[in-house]
Amino acid sequence: MHTCPRCESKEATVVSKSPVEGAWEVYMCPVCIFTWRSIEPETITNPEKYNRAFKVNPADIPLAENVPALPAKYIK
Amino acid sequence: MAYKDFRDFLATLEKEGQLLTIHDEVKPEPDIAAATKAMSKLGSETPAMLFDNIYGYTNAKVAMNVMGSWPNHALMMGLPKNTPLKDQFFEFARRYDQFPVPVQREETAPFHEVEITENINLFEILPLFRLNQGDGGFYIDKACVISRDLDDPDHFGKQNVGIYRMQVKGKDCLGIQPVPQHDIAIHLRQAEERGENLPVVIALGNEPAITTAAATPLLYDQSEYEMAGAIQGEPYRIVKAKDSNLDIPWGAEVVLEGELLAGVREFEGPFGEFTGHYSGGRSMPVIKINRVYHRKNPIFEHLYIGMPWTETDYMVGINTSVPLYQQLKEAFPNEIEAVNAMYTHGLVAIISTKRRYGGFAKAVGMRALTTPHGLGYCKLVIVVDEDVDPFNLPQVMWALSTKMHPKHDAVIIPDLSVLALDPGSEPSGITHKMILDATTPVAPETRGHYSQPLDSPLNVDKWEQRLRELLQ
Repeated sequence: MHTCPRCESKEATVVSKSPVEGAWEVYMCPVCIFTWRSIEPETITNPEKYNRAFKVNPADIPLAENVPALPAKYIK
Repeated sequence: MAYKDFRDFLATLEKEGQLLTIHDEVKPEPDIAAATKAMSKLGSETPAMLFDNIYGYTNAKVAMNVMGSWPNHALMMGLPKNTPLKDQFFEFARRYDQFPVPVQREETAPFHEVEITENINLFEILPLFRLNQGDGGFYIDKACVISRDLDDPDHFGKQNVGIYRMQVKGKDCLGIQPVPQHDIAIHLRQAEERGENLPVVIALGNEPAITTAAATPLLYDQSEYEMAGAIQGEPYRIVKAKDSNLDIPWGAEVVLEGELLAGVREFEGPFGEFTGHYSGGRSMPVIKINRVYHRKNPIFEHLYIGMPWTETDYMVGINTSVPLYQQLKEAFPNEIEAVNAMYTHGLVAIISTKRRYGGFAKAVGMRALTTPHGLGYCKLVIVVDEDVDPFNLPQVMWALSTKMHPKHDAVIIPDLSVLALDPGSEPSGITHKMILDATTPVAPETRGHYSQPLDSPLNVDKWEQRLRELLQ
């Protein structure tokens, strides 16, 4: 498990490894769906250096607007 | 002049000196997006780029900026690469009038070479990478997405081919942005009301006629495939999907078959958009991929999108201007001269027109606001005389400088619809719109001092021709 740089959940997993062994891995966070590659700059990979304006609070995710709106029958 | 497939078009670009192959090793991030953005800064005649040495990959090829310049747009139509922009506009308009050109159906296609139905992993099939620093993930943003009208499934024209941004959200999952104005949102709505998933096909790496048609604001029941045939001057080739009755561009490099999941919305974004701003994070529909086909050693075509101008602006410039032009001509066939709606997908449009009487130009501007595309764009419409070339911005600025009187010629209409991505709209999707009438007043509008427009010295045209020859 890896820490998501954007929402800081600890549940991110490896979704891909480089065809050339050991070059990089790609991770995905199941909470905010953030995706990143291990060799990206620290402003992408490091939770402390990730641009604060783009941080995601997991508590806000269920509040995000539906686009397009869901038909009434799907709204619980 | 049709291009057989994506590789055929790349070969033409190379022959014409409009393809730069980068053999030096690049990192997926930030190099490919950075190089593409940098290329856009070098002017409006830049080449496409092919990256064939990407760190960590053994055999990946990524094509960028494929239609990111006016020479490449001209070559898309099979015209000489130095064809002037206004000539490209009128040639596109001429071919648009040839619509519809019936399609040519095929049984097999090159992308059938490799087929994957188990353990699909899009991250391994495609060399995906981040475009902009704030993007929530890796995106696919130049693919044709195909779906059908479920209430009228045999209506070929109601089958839609559109280009939508898609975030890769899992090994076999994509998020998609079908905003309510998009045709695919109509299909999704039908499916969700039935409680059914919506079959979709995603075709990546296509020859440019279908990409251009898919990015053209056609009417709901007009077929993009029959428009691609009109643009390329011969029938467009398609082949059936295996899991649905959808039709696929024959020359695609990679094809994904799947379904839009009814009733599902999931966090998506942000994504750097064509407005030069990020969209916020929103909950959007999800596509599950069930089948993948691709050519051997497929080329991944991708599109950098960001602060204009980038490839997007070349891709949706003329094909946005021409439908507006044709729809305005339906109302005013003898007056409309040309339309330039190339600025941020037509949020700003410039119309060149004759005037029959005072107030006429403002009516032309009002009509632009009520065209299908105008409902979501045309926030500012500038109307100029018929002898002002709307593609020549210094001429347009001259018209604004000298013909427009702010008291009489600036018209603001409150609270009209606009695309929600317009960062200035408030609430999102609502904005005032403005018409600037920069035409010469005609009777009964007699204000101003316009009776002595400057002429040119005799024989300027002859000299212009002579100088062109001397300078060649």
